[in-house]
Amino acid sequence: MSLILRLMRCWPCLLLAAAPALAADSDVEKLTKDPKNWAMQSGDLANNRYSELKQITSKNAKNLQVAWTFSTGVLRGHEGGPLVIGDTLYIHSPFPNKVFALSLEDQSIRWKYEPKQDPTVIPVMCCDTVNRGVAYANGKIFLQQADTTLVALDAKTGAELWKVKVGDPKLGETTTNTPHVFKDKVLTGISGGEFGVRGRITAHDMNTGKVLWKAYSTGPDNELLVDPQTTMTWTDGKMAPIGADSSLKTWKGDQWKLGGGTTWGWYSYDPATNLVYYGTGNPSTWNPRQRPGDNKWSMTIFARDLDTGKAKWVYQMTPHDEWDYDGVNEMILADIKVKGTPRKALVHFDRNGFGYTLDRVTGELLVAEKFDPKVNWATHVDMKTGRPQVVDKYSTDKNGPDTNSKGICPSALGTKDQQPASYNRKTGLFYVPTNHVCMDYEPFQVEYTAGQPYVGSTLSMYAAPDSHGGLGNFIAWDAGTGKIVWSKPEKFSVWSGALSTAGDVVFYGTLEGYLKAVDLQGKELWKFKTPSGIIGNVHTWEYKGKQYVGVLSGIGGWAGIGLAAGLTKGTEGLGAVGGYKDLAKYTELGGVLTVFALPDR
Amino acid sequence: MKRYVKQWCLVACCLAADCLAGLPALADTPPYQVAEGNKVDPHTLTGWRTWRAMACERCHGAAQEGMVGPSLVDSLKVLTKEQFKATVLQGRVDKGMPNFDGSKMVTENIDYLYAYLKGRSDGAIQPGRLQEMGK
Repeated sequence: MSLILRLMRCWPCLLLAAAPALAADSDVEKLTKDPKNWAMQSGDLANNRYSELKQITSKNAKNLQVAWTFSTGVLRGHEGGPLVIGDTLYIHSPFPNKVFALSLEDQSIRWKYEPKQDPTVIPVMCCDTVNRGVAYANGKIFLQQADTTLVALDAKTGAELWKVKVGDPKLGETTTNTPHVFKDKVLTGISGGEFGVRGRITAHDMNTGKVLWKAYSTGPDNELLVDPQTTMTWTDGKMAPIGADSSLKTWKGDQWKLGGGTTWGWYSYDPATNLVYYGTGNPSTWNPRQRPGDNKWSMTIFARDLDTGKAKWVYQMTPHDEWDYDGVNEMILADIKVKGTPRKALVHFDRNGFGYTLDRVTGELLVAEKFDPKVNWATHVDMKTGRPQVVDKYSTDKNGPDTNSKGICPSALGTKDQQPASYNRKTGLFYVPTNHVCMDYEPFQVEYTAGQPYVGSTLSMYAAPDSHGGLGNFIAWDAGTGKIVWSKPEKFSVWSGALSTAGDVVFYGTLEGYLKAVDLQGKELWKFKTPSGIIGNVHTWEYKGKQYVGVLSGIGGWAGIGLAAGLTKGTEGLGAVGGYKDLAKYTELGGVLTVFALPDR
Repeated sequence: MKRYVKQWCLVACCLAADCLAGLPALADTPPYQVAEGNKVDPHTLTGWRTWRAMACERCHGAAQEGMVGPSLVDSLKVLTKEQFKATVLQGRVDKGMPNFDGSKMVTENIDYLYAYLKGRSDGAIQPGRLQEMGK
């Protein structure tokens, strides 16, 4: 072979080798700007769950009717929702994590994908075998399977393009989160806070799956991807460097290796700052006495540079958790007035019952107020230190192991779990699905065995006492002042992601199975009983001049697991099942996508 | 003669299993002691603690009446003690039951775990929290 021929043959390799540096941004950001699509699980990079579509309005929503339905053929809990890009809708199921591409023209199945997964992953999934949906970019569908495999599929054919494993189910590691495509990268997390998993997120090359960076929630600085001098946190009323060994110093011995801080929530990304925002979950175990210290950086909001993974700032909401108040809930980016001053804000409704508003550029703490008046475990968040002021009576650490701490609000489910809120860019308000549940919590000593539960607490949950008797509320929230604008009581927790639209309608699902439309004052305009309880999120799109609203029903998840798993006999308020046993009077299992539209004139 | 063999076997099995675990020797004597539904002997209490530590309620329900996993109140009316031990230690992985032979707490206390669950199955022990007799 001549030298020239060899060089010519090598050209493609040279091009490939140069590719990472030239990696083009994905098309997903552009797709989200066209309201006809619903191109990311949260609708956009900012987790707003808001649509500019306004064919369906607060005046005509009462006329909504079913356009078509589709069964996933799977029982158990259906979280997440459909993606719509152009004339194709992509919908997923819980384990075994099927994916369907449906033609919007005639609802025919263009392709179906069903991965082969080891069923032993099922018993290590904490709170039902849920999956929060697929992601799309550049002609690819990304699926994060239960067994921790991240897979890229050809969006046209469903053919596998690449696969990479991000964890090991034998160690209790599983995955339930949606993959997040930001710019040219796919980001994913890990679940398993109840199995002593050490939380982290990984950024992957969109085209190959190759890990570009990996950042842990606990451990040494180099594995956290922090810089002791330049990674900042709220300290004595201002931002200050976190210093060396910020995580290691807050754990006893090697406990950080089993430290939890898992990452199964909804991340967001701001192209202006190039920062990705996400939260970390509970420290392991649930018995706080076994892990003295602040347990950093569990229960923390991270702001990381998308290209390098380096943390710019962190904020820990619940130092030394004693109640399982995971910090993974969605990070909503909104430019709002905070106490009169325009801010580039990050708004976060934490499991611990406080609604936080921070400056997303600097990480400064601006607002931290209760978004359910029943929250009692802390009196308030000290705005100087940023720390919640814990009430002794509800401190499961002070009360100690084998003592039942009673009447703690909220319960471990949180005032809100992962079910994401909607930010309405028109009203500037947040519409938030919440839980109204309290608990008794009795920690006990546990030993760690790899791959086996590492919980260490017995819980019993019930509707918030001396209130409306229901287990949930749907609220409107002003994040600039930290005040509830209105609150609509619900019989069960609202475990469905909300949607608000330019048509002045707000949608959410209920555990009994109703999809509801309310106006901006919370007045109910319309409801429809879908085939099963709703823990999925409401999405909207337009096809051939018509606006559609779609939601997955299929009861399950933490609140519905008793029903999902076939429990109908009630037992006195033990665990989540007690409070939710009445659900059996309203609904049964089964995954169905129901799509609504206004009737043709 | 046949009857005699059967009885002998019962005693022998009992000796091999229960007696080594320090439980009463008579075959028809329950492997647990309970008073007022929630006060139990120290071994049965250890069995309950093992149940709690392994978070068995996540699949079998807080009252052992079944959720993702089957009702143990029902299962323990059917399973022999040996079958029970094999199921817990080796798992039924294809059905979603993990193997617990890697857990020191389970391997050391499997007889007591059986005693506790048998008591629940018999209806003699109440669901929920237990305490030690005479304390």
